[in-house]
Amino acid sequence: MATASGGGGEFVDKFPDEAAIIKASFLIAFVSLGIGAFFGLVQALHRTNVLRVIDSADYYTMLTGHGVLLAIVFTIFFLCGVFHWAVARSLDRPAESALFSWAWVGLMTTGAVLATIAILGGFVPNLGMSADVLFTFYAPLQAHPIFYIGLAMFIVGTWLSGADWFLSYRAWRKDHPDERIPLQTFMVLTTMIMWYISTLGVAVSVVFFLIPWSLGLIESVNPLLTRTLFWYFGHPIVYFWLMPAYLLWYTVLPKLAGGRLFSDPLARVVFLLFLLLSTPVGIHHQYLDPGIAEGFKFIAMTNTMFLLLPSLLTAFTVVASVEHGARQRGGEGYLRWLGALPWRDPAFTGMALAGAMFAAGGFSGMINAGMNINYLIHNTLWVPGHFHLTVGTAVALTMMAGSYWLVPQVTGTKLYSRPIGLLQVIMWFVGMVFMSNAMHRAGLAGIPRRTAEPQYQNFEFLTPIGSIFELRVQIALGGTLLFLSVVLFLFNILLTSLGEESDRPVDSYLPEPLSGPEGSPRILDNLAMWTGIAAVLVVLAYTLPLAGIIQNGGGLFGGGLPVPATVSAGFDLVMTTVTSAFNTLWGVVA
Amino acid sequence: MKLTKARALILIAFSVPVAIELRTVAGFFNVELPLIAVAVIEFLFLALLFVLYGLYGEGSESAA
Ligand code: HEM
Ligand SMILES: [Cu+2]
Repeated sequence: MATASGGGGEFVDKFPDEAAIIKASFLIAFVSLGIGAFFGLVQALHRTNVLRVIDSADYYTMLTGHGVLLAIVFTIFFLCGVFHWAVARSLDRPAESALFSWAWVGLMTTGAVLATIAILGGFVPNLGMSADVLFTFYAPLQAHPIFYIGLAMFIVGTWLSGADWFLSYRAWRKDHPDERIPLQTFMVLTTMIMWYISTLGVAVSVVFFLIPWSLGLIESVNPLLTRTLFWYFGHPIVYFWLMPAYLLWYTVLPKLAGGRLFSDPLARVVFLLFLLLSTPVGIHHQYLDPGIAEGFKFIAMTNTMFLLLPSLLTAFTVVASVEHGARQRGGEGYLRWLGALPWRDPAFTGMALAGAMFAAGGFSGMINAGMNINYLIHNTLWVPGHFHLTVGTAVALTMMAGSYWLVPQVTGTKLYSRPIGLLQVIMWFVGMVFMSNAMHRAGLAGIPRRTAEPQYQNFEFLTPIGSIFELRVQIALGGTLLFLSVVLFLFNILLTSLGEESDRPVDSYLPEPLSGPEGSPRILDNLAMWTGIAAVLVVLAYTLPLAGIIQNGGGLFGGGLPVPATVSAGFDLVMTTVTSAFNTLWGVVA
Repeated sequence: MKLTKARALILIAFSVPVAIELRTVAGFFNVELPLIAVAVIEFLFLALLFVLYGLYGEGSESAA
C-alpha cells in the first residue's frame, strides 16, 4: 500500500474537503446506528416477553426500521466514509470535484430519509403510509411508493460514489502510468465493481416491478422473480458490508497490532475472488423456494462453498500479520504472543474481537449454506443469530472500533476516552455472545424469526440443555448490553468531535506490507478482465433459473398459473427464445 | 506478564462464551451440570482473576 500519508500533516489538514464528506457520511451512519440499536433493544425485549412497549401489530414496522437503518443505511454510509478516506489517502490526491462528492452524499441522504419516513409512517395509522416490508422488501409485501423511490435514490447515490472513486483513480493513472494500483484503492474499486454488477438486479426489481406495482400502474408482480432479483443482490450486499471491514483488517489492523500486512498480493487475490464469486450464489437464500429447480440450488451451494476460500485466506493473512505485530512487540511462544498485543487500544481490541466472532459466524454460515442442513434452521431465530455475528459484529464492531482511529483523523481532535472505548467494544462482545448464542440455540429448538409472538398454541419448544426461559433471558440481557454499548460509543464519538484540535490526534502512518505487490502478476490489476469474467459467471448462474422463474411463475408480471419447477422448463424457455430470436433475425437477413 | 486492566477485561470477556456453553461441553461427557454450578464456576473464575489482579495487576508492587 502506498504510504501516502507519509507526506506529513494530518488527513484533515491535507484533504479538508474529503474530511468534510467523510464526517457527513459518518454522521448519518451513526445517527442510523443509534435509532436502529434502540429498535433492536425494543424488539429483543418484546419478543422475549421481558418488556413490551409497542403493540405486537407494530413489530414489523420496527423490525423494518431496524433492518433498513442498520443493515443498509449505517453500513453503507460508513462504507462510503471509509472508502472516500482510503482512496484519497492511498492515491494521495483529493477527489476530482468536491461538488460531485456532495452530490452523492446528498442523493443518498435524501433517499435514506424518504425510505425512513415511509417506514416510520407505519407507526401513525391515519397517515396511510407504511413500509412494513422488512429490509428484504420483496413481494408480496408491498410498501408505499416513497419507500421504493427513496431506495432507488439511495442506490443511484452509491453508484455515483463509486464513479467518484473511479474518476480519482483515472486521474491518478494519468500521472502514474506504470505503477501498481495502491492496495486500498484496489480494494475499493473491486468492491465497487461487484456492487455495480449486483445492484443491477435490485434496480430492475425496484424500477420495473415494485415502483409501478406500488403506484398501481401494474396489477401484479411475479413474487418469485422479485425475491430472486433481491437475493441476486442480497448475497453480494453481504460482501459489500464486509469489504470495508476487510479493508480495515488488512490495511489498518496489522499496524495497530504493531506490525505490517503479511502479503499484499494475497489481499488482492482475496478481493478478486469476492468480485467473481459473490454474485452467482444468491440462490442459496432460496433453498426452500418451491419455484426453483433443485439443480440450480445445488450449483449455488457449490459456488458458496468456494467462497470459503477467500474467507480462509483472510483469516490466515490477518492472523499472520497480527502475530507478526505481536512478535515485533516482543511477544514469544506458540500462543503467549497473544498477550503482547495492544489490548488497551479499543481500535485494535474491537477489530480483533470482531474477527474472532466472525470465525464463529463463519461456522454457523456453513450450516446455513448446506442445502440439506439448511432445512433445519431455515427461518428460525438461528438466522438472526448468525448474521448478528457477521454483519452485526464482524462489520458493525469493526466499524465502531475503526472509528476510534478514523474519526480523529477527520476531526483533528483526540479520542475522548480510550478506556470507555475499550469497555464499549468488550461490552459489545459479551452482549453479542449472550444474544447470538441464545438465538442460535433458540433456532435449533425451532423458534421462528421475524415474529413478535414466537409461540404456538399447544406446542412447547424443547431444548437439549437448559430451558427456553434461559434463552429468552439471555437474548434480552444480550440486547440490553448491546444497546448500552452503542450508547457509550455514540457518546464517546460525540465528545471526541467536540474536543479541542490537536496537532497529532492519532498515529495515522500505515507501514508497507512485508511482501509488496512488485513480484505479483500484473494481471491481478487488470480490472476490465476480472469484470468480464464476473459477468460471465453471473450469466451462467442466473440465465436458466431466471428463465424458469419467469415461465413457471406465470410470466414477468405474474398473474398466470404457476407450474412446477424443472430444469428443463427453464431450458425450454431459453431455447424457444433463442430460436425465435434467430428466426426473426434470419427473416430480416434473408 | 503483567495483568493489566485491559488483559483482565479480555479474559473476562472470553470466559463468558465458555461459561454459557459449559453445560454443552459437560454433556459430551454425560455430565449433567446444573445452571447454578456454571454460575459458581464463573464466579470462582472472576474471584481468582480479581485476586491475581490484586497481586500482579497495574499498581501492585510486584508488577514489573
Ligand atoms: C443494539 C444491538 C442490536 C440488537 C439488540 C438487535 C436485536 C435484534 C433482534 C432481536 C432481531 C430479530 C427480530 C426477529 O426476527 O423477530 C434482529 C434482527 C435483525 N438485526 Fe439486529 N440487533 C442489534 C444490532 C444489529 C446490527 C448492528 C445490525 C447490522 C448492522 C443488525 C441487523 C439486523 C437485521 C438485518 C435483522 C433482520 C431483520 C429482519 O428479519 O427483517 N442488528 N435484531
Ligand atoms: Cu448469502
